Amino acid sequence: MVALSQALLNGLVLGLIYVAIAVGLTIVFGTLRLVNFAHGAFYAIGAYIGLVVAQNWGLGAAFIAAPIGVAIFAIILDRVLLRPFYGKDVTSQILVTFGIALIVEETLRLIFGATTQQYPALQGLATSVAIGPLVYPLYRLLFAAGVIAMLVLVWLFMERTDYGLIVRAGVRDRTMVQLLGGNIRQASTIVFAVGAAIAGLVGAAASPIYSIAPGTGFAFLVPSFVVVVVGGLGSFWGAVLGGLLIGELQSLTTLAFAPAANVIIYLCMALVLLLRPQGLLGESEVIRQ
Amino acid sequence: MNVSQRGAGVRFALFTLAGLALFPFIFHAIDGYAGLATQIVIVSIASIGFNFLLGYTGLLSYGHAMFYGGGGYVAALLLIRLMPQHPNLWLAVIGATLAATILALLVGALAVRLYGIYFALLTLAFAQMIYFVVEQAQDWTNGDDGLQSIPAALLPIGPYSIDLGTALPPLALGPFGNLSDIKLWYIVSALALCGVMIGMRALTRSQFGEVLTAIRENEERSSLIGFNAAAYRLAAFAISGALTGFAGALRALYDGSVAVESVGIERSGSLVIYTIVGGVQTLLGPVLGTGLIMYLEAVLSAHISYWRLVEGVIFVAVIIFLPAGIVGTIAKRFSGRAKDRALLAKSVSTGSSK
Repeated sequence: MVALSQALLNGLVLGLIYVAIAVGLTIVFGTLRLVNFAHGAFYAIGAYIGLVVAQNWGLGAAFIAAPIGVAIFAIILDRVLLRPFYGKDVTSQILVTFGIALIVEETLRLIFGATTQQYPALQGLATSVAIGPLVYPLYRLLFAAGVIAMLVLVWLFMERTDYGLIVRAGVRDRTMVQLLGGNIRQASTIVFAVGAAIAGLVGAAASPIYSIAPGTGFAFLVPSFVVVVVGGLGSFWGAVLGGLLIGELQSLTTLAFAPAANVIIYLCMALVLLLRPQGLLGESEVIRQ
Repeated sequence: MNVSQRGAGVRFALFTLAGLALFPFIFHAIDGYAGLATQIVIVSIASIGFNFLLGYTGLLSYGHAMFYGGGGYVAALLLIRLMPQHPNLWLAVIGATLAATILALLVGALAVRLYGIYFALLTLAFAQMIYFVVEQAQDWTNGDDGLQSIPAALLPIGPYSIDLGTALPPLALGPFGNLSDIKLWYIVSALALCGVMIGMRALTRSQFGEVLTAIRENEERSSLIGFNAAAYRLAAFAISGALTGFAGALRALYDGSVAVESVGIERSGSLVIYTIVGGVQTLLGPVLGTGLIMYLEAVLSAHISYWRLVEGVIFVAVIIFLPAGIVGTIAKRFSGRAKDRALLAKSVSTGSSK
C-alpha cells in the first residue's frame, strides 16, 4: 500500500513535468501550426540556466532567471530562424526544429560537458514529510504544487486574455481568425515565448529531482509528444489529462514490471493513434495536418 | 521502352559501377580508408530506402532505425543461434530482410492511414517500443552491450564458400593506397548498392512510381481515378523498410557486432540527416549525403569534440539555404539551364520560320 501510494505520487510528479512540456507544445501548435521538435531544448536550457544561477545566487533566483532566459531565447529563435517555416509543410518544420534541437544539445554539451550534473544541496528543502505511513520528499510535493499553480495561470492566460482567445480560435479555424482580423502573428510570438518559458521553468524546477545532462531535454520531449498525441494535439485539457495518464502509467508499470515501463507508453500512444487519432480530448479537424 | 531510354539505363549502370570501383581509391587519397568506404556503401542502401518513402510518398518516418537495427539483430541472431557451425551469409541477410519486410508491413498497415506529424510520431513510437524491447530482452540481445563477435559469415556461391574478409592481391597505387586494402566485403556491398540504385531508378520511373507521385501530389484525385492510395503507400513503406533492413543486416555482419544504438532514435535521425543533406527525391542524393556526413564524421571527430554540433549546423544550413539538398540543387540548376536552352532553341527556330 505504501509502495503503491509512493508510485502514485511519483507518477504525479513525472506526469506534471510531461503536462508542462506538453502544454507548451500544444499552445504553440494552436497558434502557429508548428510541430516543435526543439521544445525539449527549452527544458534543457532552462535547467542549465537554473544550474548556473542556483550555484551563484540560490534556487529562488534560478526559478526567475530560467523562464526569462528561455523566453528571450525563444523570441530570438522565432524571429531569426523559424519565421520562414510557419507557413510551410509539417515535414520541413519537423526537420528544422529537429536540427535546432541537435544544435542546442551539442552546444550545451560543449559548454557544460557530457556528464550528468546535480543542483547544489537544497537548503531546508531536502527533508521528507510524513503523510500517514508514507514518507515523501518535501521538495517533490512543493514541485507538484508549484506546477499546478503554474498550470492554473496558463489556463487563465488561455481563457481570459485575447492571446488565449486567438490560440483557441486558431486551433479550430486558423483562416477564419485571420479573416476576422485576429493578429495571429503577434499573438504567436507571445504564445511561443510563454510555451518556452513554461518548459524552461519546469526544467529548472525539476532538475533537483531528475538531474540534468545535455540529452535530458530530448529525453523528456519524446514522452511529451506521446502525451500530446494521447491527449489531443491543440487541447489544453488534453495535455493535462494525457500527461497525468502517461506519468501514472509509467510509474505504476515500473512498480509492477519495470522492464515494460518504457514500452507501455508507446503502446498506449499507438493504440490512441489507431483508435482515436485526434486524441482523447482533441478536435477532429486537426488530424490531417 | 525505346532504344535511347535503354541506352540511358545502361549508361547509368556503367557510371554507377565505375564510380563505385574508383570510390575507395579516391577516398584513400582524401584520408578516407577502405573500411569506412564499405560502411558508407552499406548505409547508403538504408538511406536510399528512407528516401524512397519520404521522396515518393511524402511520409517522414522517424523510426527507420527499427528496420535498420532490427535487420542487424535478426541477421546476427540467425547466425549465432541457428547456424553457428555453418554461417551462411545468404540465409542471414535474406532472413533479416524478410523480417524487416514483415515488420514494415505490420507497422505500415497501421501507419499509412496517418499523415504528417501523426505518421512521424507513430513510426517513432513503434521504433521506441522496439528499442526498449531490444534493450530489455537481455537473454537474446545482451541488452546495452549489444551482440559482439558475430561469427564471420561465408558466402556460398556454387561449390565455393567465399570468406568476404579476404583481401585483394597487393598492388601499390601511390596516393590511392594499395589494392590489398580492398576486401571482398567492399565488392559485394558495392554490387549490392549498384543493384539497389539500378532497381530504384527503374522503380521510380515505372508506373508504380508514377502512381505514388500522383498520390503524393493529390490523393483525392488519385483515389477517385481508382487507385487504392493506402495500398500503394503500404507497398512503398514495405520496400523502404526492406531496403533499410537489408542494409542493417549487411552492416552488422560486416562489423561483426550490432549495438543497441542501431535501433535507437539517433539512428533514425541520422538517416533523415543523410537524405536531406544529399537531396530528397533524387537517386544520388542519399548516397552522396551518407558519404559526405560519414566521411566528415570520421575525419573531424578525430580532431574536434563537437563534431555533432557541426553536423547539426550543416543540417539546418541545408534545410534553410538548399531545401532540395546538394544533389537536388545542382540537378535543378542543370535542368533549369537545359530548359532555358530548349526554350531559346525553340524561340530561335520559330523566329526563323516566320
